[in-house]
Amino acid sequence: MGLASWLILIPFLTALAVLAVPTRRSDLIRWVALVGTAAHLALTSYTTWAFWQEASPDLVAVRTETVSRVYLVERVPWFESLGIDYLVGVDGVSMSMVILTSIIIFTGVLASWNVVHRTKEFFTLLLVLVTGVFGVFLSFDLFLFFMFYEVAVLPMYLLIGVWGTGRKEYSAMKLTLMLMVGSALILVGFLAMYHANGSTTFDLTKLAQAHFETGLQRWVFPLIFIGFGILGAMYPFHTWSPDGHASAPTAVSMLHAGVLMKLGGYGALRIGVYLLPEGAQYWGLFFMAVTTINIVYGSLGAITQKDLKYFTAYSSVSHCGFVLFGVATLNLMGLKGAVLQMFSHGVMTGLFFALIGMVYGRTHTRIIPEMGGLGKVMPWLAACFYIGGMASLGLPGLAGFIAESHIFLGGFFGNSWTNPILSRTLTVLATLSIVVTAVYVLRGLATVFQGPVRDPHHAELTDATLTERLSTGILVATLVVTGMVPGLLIDLIEGTLFPIVNRLQATGMAIPGHS
Amino acid sequence: MLMLPELLIIATAFAVLLVDLFIAERQRGHLVLLALAGVLAALVALVTITPDTGALFGGRFTMDPLAWWLKLTLLAAAAVTLTLAQPMLATHKQAPTLGAGSEFMTLLLFNLAGMLMLPSTRDLVFFYVALELATIPLFLLTAWRRESLSSEAGLKYVLMGALSSALMLYGLGILYGVGRTMNLDLIGRNLFPSPPVIMAIAMVFAGLGFKLTLVPFHMWAPEVYQGAPTPVTAWLSVASKAAGLSALMLLTYRVFPRLLPQWGLYLALLATVTMTAGNLAAITQTNIKRFMAFSAISQAGYLIMGFLGAGPNGPASMVFYLMVYAVTNLAVFAVIALHHQQTGREDITSYRGLSQTNPILALTMMVGLFGLAGIPPLSGFVGKFFLFSVASKAGYNWLVGIAAVNSTISLYYYLRIIRQMYIEAPDPELPKLTTPRLLGTALAVTTLASVTLGLVPWVFESVRFSAAVWLEAMPK
Repeated sequence: MGLASWLILIPFLTALAVLAVPTRRSDLIRWVALVGTAAHLALTSYTTWAFWQEASPDLVAVRTETVSRVYLVERVPWFESLGIDYLVGVDGVSMSMVILTSIIIFTGVLASWNVVHRTKEFFTLLLVLVTGVFGVFLSFDLFLFFMFYEVAVLPMYLLIGVWGTGRKEYSAMKLTLMLMVGSALILVGFLAMYHANGSTTFDLTKLAQAHFETGLQRWVFPLIFIGFGILGAMYPFHTWSPDGHASAPTAVSMLHAGVLMKLGGYGALRIGVYLLPEGAQYWGLFFMAVTTINIVYGSLGAITQKDLKYFTAYSSVSHCGFVLFGVATLNLMGLKGAVLQMFSHGVMTGLFFALIGMVYGRTHTRIIPEMGGLGKVMPWLAACFYIGGMASLGLPGLAGFIAESHIFLGGFFGNSWTNPILSRTLTVLATLSIVVTAVYVLRGLATVFQGPVRDPHHAELTDATLTERLSTGILVATLVVTGMVPGLLIDLIEGTLFPIVNRLQATGMAIPGHS
Repeated sequence: MLMLPELLIIATAFAVLLVDLFIAERQRGHLVLLALAGVLAALVALVTITPDTGALFGGRFTMDPLAWWLKLTLLAAAAVTLTLAQPMLATHKQAPTLGAGSEFMTLLLFNLAGMLMLPSTRDLVFFYVALELATIPLFLLTAWRRESLSSEAGLKYVLMGALSSALMLYGLGILYGVGRTMNLDLIGRNLFPSPPVIMAIAMVFAGLGFKLTLVPFHMWAPEVYQGAPTPVTAWLSVASKAAGLSALMLLTYRVFPRLLPQWGLYLALLATVTMTAGNLAAITQTNIKRFMAFSAISQAGYLIMGFLGAGPNGPASMVFYLMVYAVTNLAVFAVIALHHQQTGREDITSYRGLSQTNPILALTMMVGLFGLAGIPPLSGFVGKFFLFSVASKAGYNWLVGIAAVNSTISLYYYLRIIRQMYIEAPDPELPKLTTPRLLGTALAVTTLASVTLGLVPWVFESVRFSAAVWLEAMPK
């Protein structure tokens, strides 16, 4: 069994190990989960190295190819008569997402150190969920992909329903059902592509070599994009996200906003744009417009929020809008920006939700006006919050800047087949949200952390514990490293994006009536 | 040898009835072991001795590879049903019990024999007799408890069943008149689209739609499911569907194959109406057995999607889904039967906090319900995926969309039960359930099967291979 399989299997084995621990030994359960995720983080680092050893010699060759290369491939025939394989592997984009997920789950386990209610079930479900996430990122067979995709979505129902706060049952049901409708659309698209290609294979790399007729591409692409877009909080299907994130417990919000919503962007790019370039070109501008609404609407929504979690959730809607906007630009700069944004937003929002959980655990309130002057009481948490906030409004030197600048450049460049005035107008509109983001981030942070301590009870609170420092520290460090040395990540993902862009270019020239 | 499983079942049925005369009252509980041994012997005989092709009685009874899988499913389902019924047959102290245990089992076994014969019949009269044997004992079993709900269910079932049988018989009569022979294969050659043939097809579909609980022939299902004793409901939900499917496959592929493409759209609409109506009605149910009735109706809608399009994938997907549905549904009903027997309650809220009082039972129930909802990686998902794939290949992408959205709706109501089990706090009044060993084994086996059938490729591959052989041997 190869590295990719182990990356999927380790969280699952950890979940089984957690199940085997007696229920009352909650300390042991946490340690098992922590050791499992730490081992996963180590294996991810090693896999990144192994991947880079194989992939780096090809970096020049892939610049002209139209089918992206997959490394560390493992293929076991599964349902042979239907062309379904167990096919896992790694490429640049999936590698970066695996790194992100591995960091988030490790810090998420640290951040849930104080979960006392039904600890065993909590960690089991969390680890099952993350197994699904790794499965999605590593599988290159559409059937397998879909299987893992739903495994990643469904545990969320119980995680929010049992351990959540507020209107948890409502939020959990809304989230689950909306995401399942999304997967229904995806399923129709997958089957249509499978049969259009002669019903012989679900292998992504083989499907990429097939040419789908234009009519099919045009009706399947929106299904796939909207289906994944629902998970990526695309307007107007984003409504599950604020409720879901606000009700979810800390680690679940971290995973969900940090990683799960990235499955949306990942799927839209990896399956929608990659397999259906003509459909993407046909619908590109439309989805750019929709995601512009996303970006602006999310940031305006965040201004009015009083609850810290709703505040972050709306800001996530805006930032995930950037991801889908980047995907819809359909050029190298934009796609690169989309992947970078997935990574940086994942880390950033994971950090936010971890911090909110920690602050809430102390103050027992998430209402922004009820807090004030917390910076004096808990300097570590305040400092981390500020760094996250700066990354969120795109301060150069942190991960957010590099991603957003790529996306805006991509949107501004446009494509040979689109009207430059339209795409530029949309990009300028989207850029304006940066100003709004600055307003709400700075205002929110100032209210919570600066000024005099508003509530006298809050003056006696303590700063972060060791586990909390470790968890937030890792996330902050990731933000800074990615922001300072973005080349590391860009090198990793570029090799996979070139073929996708080349396909778009190749078909872009072929469309008559577009200059 | 060809008929050995059927003969073994009939022999067991008589043996149970006879032995019952000679043993003491308190030993009657052990009779279920005799019945179970008979079913398992038939299962072993089917797997080891019975060849998967061959003909008896001048071709009126024919074994084919697909019938083999159907019989396997039915025998396994019967074995599970007997273990479900065992706690209710064995003791007379615990309420609720089923009186007259040996007669109960005898009828169940006769019913099983009819269902086993059904896919092997090649003759109109034999077909009808097997179909009635697969139906009439169910009327009696439904009304077994003789209290008002059970009797009402039985009566409703008899009336609707008689109506559907009449329609069916009329349809078969017309087919005989037009086809001028009793042999199903020969009738198929003589049929061409004409008004009487269309009428016959419509009547046969209505009659079999009753068995498969296709909307609008489903009206009996909610009352019967709710009123029948729980093991009978479990048996009904699986076996009646299996019998209906095998009869429908027999007729569509053998008698109407050339007419099938023209009926595709109507089938797709029938599937749409069935799954949507079943799902929407299930949302508001509060009684778990009635709820499972609507769930079963919607499952029938998915099932008939396999009739769309040509090639072996269609029948293979249907038989595979039937197997998956059987084990998954039986696992759910095992928990329902256990719960009902020990708490006496059937309302959904009585499952409150089951995950804390009986974590393993709750887990198996959750796996079962997720399987029915078609959530990966459970076999329910794999089976549905194959059915959707068949419909998509035949060009019915809109149907796939409707079916997939329907799966989401169904997830909503399955999650309602999961919410009761996992999110709500336990009801202090309800006792902790104890699992009898036999039922526990059955539950473990069905749950394990509902997880692995779709993950292990060879089950589907073998069914598909059988379907290909079966289709190849079809008279052209």
